[in-house]
Amino acid sequence: MTRVWDLAHGRSGDKGDVCNMGVIARSPEAWETLKEKVTAERVKAHFGDMIKGSVTRYELPNIRALNFVCRGALNGGGTLSLRSDHLGKVMYTWLLRMEIDDE
Amino acid sequence: MKSVKLGTGLAFWGDSIRPAIEMIERADIQYMCCDHLAELTMSILNKQKSKNPNLGYTTDIIPFLRGVVVKARERGIKIISNAGGANPEACAREVVKLCQELGLYGTKVACVTGDDIMDRIDDILAQGVGLENTDTGQPLAEIRDKVTQANVYTGCEGIVEALEQGADIVICGRVTDAAVYLGPMRHELGWGAEDWDLLGAGTGIAHCVECGGQATGGLYSGGWQDMRNLPSLGYPVTTVFENGEAILSKTPQTGGGVTVGTVSEQLVYEVMDPANYLTADSIADVSQIKLEQIAPDQVKISNITGKPAPATLKVNMGYRAGFVGEAQFTYTWPDAVKKAKAGLEFLAERLKQVNFKSSEERVEYIGRNSMWGPELIPNPGDDETDLLEIVVRFAARCPTAEDSKKVFTESVPLYNNGPAGASGIGTRPPVKELYGIWPCLIPREFITQKMVITEVKQAEEVAA
Repeated sequence: MTRVWDLAHGRSGDKGDVCNMGVIARSPEAWETLKEKVTAERVKAHFGDMIKGSVTRYELPNIRALNFVCRGALNGGGTLSLRSDHLGKVMYTWLLRMEIDDE
Repeated sequence: MKSVKLGTGLAFWGDSIRPAIEMIERADIQYMCCDHLAELTMSILNKQKSKNPNLGYTTDIIPFLRGVVVKARERGIKIISNAGGANPEACAREVVKLCQELGLYGTKVACVTGDDIMDRIDDILAQGVGLENTDTGQPLAEIRDKVTQANVYTGCEGIVEALEQGADIVICGRVTDAAVYLGPMRHELGWGAEDWDLLGAGTGIAHCVECGGQATGGLYSGGWQDMRNLPSLGYPVTTVFENGEAILSKTPQTGGGVTVGTVSEQLVYEVMDPANYLTADSIADVSQIKLEQIAPDQVKISNITGKPAPATLKVNMGYRAGFVGEAQFTYTWPDAVKKAKAGLEFLAERLKQVNFKSSEERVEYIGRNSMWGPELIPNPGDDETDLLEIVVRFAARCPTAEDSKKVFTESVPLYNNGPAGASGIGTRPPVKELYGIWPCLIPREFITQKMVITEVKQAEEVAA
């Protein structure tokens, strides 16, 4: 089984009720797999009820990074959220746990 | 080619001042730039100002300056900060006083204001600017009576003006995080207010360094094990060239590291669409950024472009949104899970007895799902009979401070009156008021920055 973590590292942060999660491929090969497998739809499904709004994916090809912008992801936003991780500081680690099918 | 050397001093309110002290002693820099303000900070600072007209700035600026300003003046290093927060004038007065105390006569302290529109909201609405919530489209009327502060994310123009007039220390209110870096770039490199590619590049470079240690090995998920001496992490030292490229490094002989990986992680931090990174001074396009390791702890940044600044500026508006009440308790083996759930029922019943009101409640099990919640990881099951301990956190959003206090008060009897084996209840937390952020836009022609310079003189002269 391959996880995103095997291919990439990352970081996440907050802007209001939006959490963005960036993942950075560890190699050119990993980048190709990442682009193909880690789609916005799959990320949205991976987070289930935790992300209430949309997930949009952006690419930064020269540093081999994907950026996922997740709306309605912080229980109302960092200043209102009841969650312990009210700023989404570790949300990216859940994304790194996502499994990628081996083919 | 012309260049300017910028150091990152403080990266948030409450940040350690020791990296800045090491930098001022050892690094080759011309400017030390500090961003103290997060989304929530302005609400907290305005609350402080409403209680005391001499407060409302991030007070860490004073111990910070006490640690660096003598050396900075000696070496001709200028300091730029948005520590002024909700009260830049009061902050600048305190900075002048500190310089007097330290005998730094002749120091020019600039104060940049113009971002605070709290007293103009009704006037602005009357002129047809709706200040609707950009996320939800709701009209401001929904929260108008609860608004506590309204500050516009302003650009670097006032900082450039201050530097042109010879300021040594520039204290600003809510200028953007990037502006405290972009100001000295424009001043030193001769960039114009409409050199969009260069302003975009400068904004992108500023974004890479404004969070301090997050670019130099702090929080580095790609290889935190490889980062040496993190307790003495060095902060970013950046050489920006007039063509919009830069070399990011850090204070010599410090911990951490600067690699393509560490800078990449910071680059994606709190970015939405990387091709349209909106600020007051430009729209930066960092989507095609190139990072290159050119030497140990040196990363070259290039290929950032820019587009014309948006016609509107973003407003950071805060409004009162109730209070949060919290309680935490721990149960141990045997039957830790069953006891924890019985403890939660005990708390719920006692809260009902005192007519507790809340709009939302949340239970997390620390060590199990506190970072993800039951949305992603199920709560512990009754069949998990071998757990040695389990920590429960209960939080509720409440309409009043009184309601929020009840949460802890009604959890205290768990010590003596509830299921067996409770501990770790802790001490009463302070009352915590919540502020919502109301993001909205204002046409830029409504906002004009003001800049005033005060020259530090001996205290007697000022009194006379």
